[in-house]
Amino acid sequence: MNKKIKTIQRHGKTFKDRIYIPAIIEGLKTTIKHLAHNVSDINSVDVLEYPEEQPTDITERYRGLHRLTHREDGTISCVACFMCATACPSACIFIEATQREDGVDEKMPQKFSIDTLECIFCGYCVEACPCDAIRMDTGIFSLIGREREDFLLDKEKLLSFKGAFAQEDSIARK
Amino acid sequence: MSTLAIVVTLGSIVLAALLALLMIPVLVWLERRVAGLIQDRLGPNRTNVGGFRLGGVVQSFADVVKLVFKEEYYPSHIKSGKLLFTLAPTIMFVSALLAFMTIPFADNVNIAGESFRVQALPVDYGVLWFMAISSIGVIGILFGGWLSHNKYSLLGAQRAGSQLLGFELPLGLSVIAMVITYESVDFNVMVDYQSGVLFGFLPAWGVLIQPLAALIFIITMFAETNRAPFNVVEGESEIIAGHMTEFSAMKFAMYFMGEYIAMNTASAVIITMFFGGYQLPWLSTQDLFSNFSSVVVAIMVVMPIVIFFLIKWMKKNNSVRATLSSDGGRAFETKVLTIVLISMTALIELICLYLFTQSSDSLSATITITLLQIAIFVFKLMVFNIFFIIVRWTLPRFRYDQIQTLGWNYLLPLSLANIIITAIVVVGVN
Repeated sequence: MNKKIKTIQRHGKTFKDRIYIPAIIEGLKTTIKHLAHNVSDINSVDVLEYPEEQPTDITERYRGLHRLTHREDGTISCVACFMCATACPSACIFIEATQREDGVDEKMPQKFSIDTLECIFCGYCVEACPCDAIRMDTGIFSLIGREREDFLLDKEKLLSFKGAFAQEDSIARK
Repeated sequence: MSTLAIVVTLGSIVLAALLALLMIPVLVWLERRVAGLIQDRLGPNRTNVGGFRLGGVVQSFADVVKLVFKEEYYPSHIKSGKLLFTLAPTIMFVSALLAFMTIPFADNVNIAGESFRVQALPVDYGVLWFMAISSIGVIGILFGGWLSHNKYSLLGAQRAGSQLLGFELPLGLSVIAMVITYESVDFNVMVDYQSGVLFGFLPAWGVLIQPLAALIFIITMFAETNRAPFNVVEGESEIIAGHMTEFSAMKFAMYFMGEYIAMNTASAVIITMFFGGYQLPWLSTQDLFSNFSSVVVAIMVVMPIVIFFLIKWMKKNNSVRATLSSDGGRAFETKVLTIVLISMTALIELICLYLFTQSSDSLSATITITLLQIAIFVFKLMVFNIFFIIVRWTLPRFRYDQIQTLGWNYLLPLSLANIIITAIVVVGVN
């Protein structure tokens, strides 16, 4: 048995510790130092002056507002397979499928809407999608509206969002 | 009663009401701002009226407007004692406000052979009044907690009651030590005593004569006002908001404001009893009067220097980083405030020039020195209020049994020993 035993020194039993006052003065020193420094130069406080300043640290993995991707010819890449609506834990994706007439594919959504008031931004729809048709890479983190209807995003709205990063079009459906 | 007496008394009452009530929004804002700055945040700094934000103090007025227009919610499970339930916050608010009323803001004013007290309540038993009234505040908490018919509220109220019992004794005993030292229960006599000199070079402040009593008094005042680290009454991690859980809108605001008035009162009593009250260190009122022209010259010299540094600080700090496109009207606000400050200084300099020609026993000299003492009092009051706030954001909350141990096992014997030592010294010296 050649274990190394490290003895940790216990604090709080000495007279100096037990009368609290020296510790309180140490604590006050720290807080007053911060206060004095920040009062003398308020712009040294490292904060984001939102909304004048916008965040610059949104990464590719950030789950922002959803968008529907396009194919290379500019048409919708969604094939209305209902995978995302099935995977959605808050049941906020509403799809109505229709026949696709232009010969590119067989099915497409007639209506595709997401109720963002219900949405929990979990990203399961993106994971479930076999066509890379829905993504959350817009980088949009705030959606503003005056009525509840403003938060129900329809197909046209979802197609109009641009991706904030590279890979504009769907990579699964060319 | 002469007209003069009525004018001085009314002036004192208005001053006391302003100092207590107008201090609430400032303190609420200061609390949030100081907390922010200590934690390297900014705190509320955006609310403004026409671009004037005054560092964000306008936020407090917006909060008051919001609270006034909020729905008054009465919990439906409260069947009995609705009247007392509604009245409870007011009891606390009023008692905190009344306790402030015997604090002297300046030395007795002698006009036309008559002497007037600059106290809202011109009595000579200020300490007794303060001790009696400030303890009533807890009744408001007890009523509020009990009549809420809520376990958390009841627990909070019980904690408030037992905490008061534990700390009222050391508080009273440390005050007795001070009363023995000053040989009076009159706040004004206490301040007068402290304007002397100790050992030939120290100001005879209570904190230097009786450091132990000062320490006990300040600690018990923190407990009495339910400020951190003694705020187990509303320990939100254990009992939600304690006695305030069932209160909403203006009823809640009354508790909230009462707490800040109590803190203000505590600061006022601490500086009156231990930090020389309205007096400058080393200088008594007689010294100020006999060297009136030097006092005026000192004001004329110090005032522009202070204003110069204030403007410099404002220009630097009432701004945003250069990377931002808009500063939200801060530059305009700085410009206007600079003009106001400079013209105010010029006006005071002119008044001082006139005062320089006056003799030290004229009416204008009396008014000047009274105003000077009021200014010193307000300055010290603000310093102590900020101290209260900094302590809140420095120390974590004590556990409930630790508070009781501190009160009964340590502070009570210490204050008893302090009384005996004080009495021996006072009798021995005499």
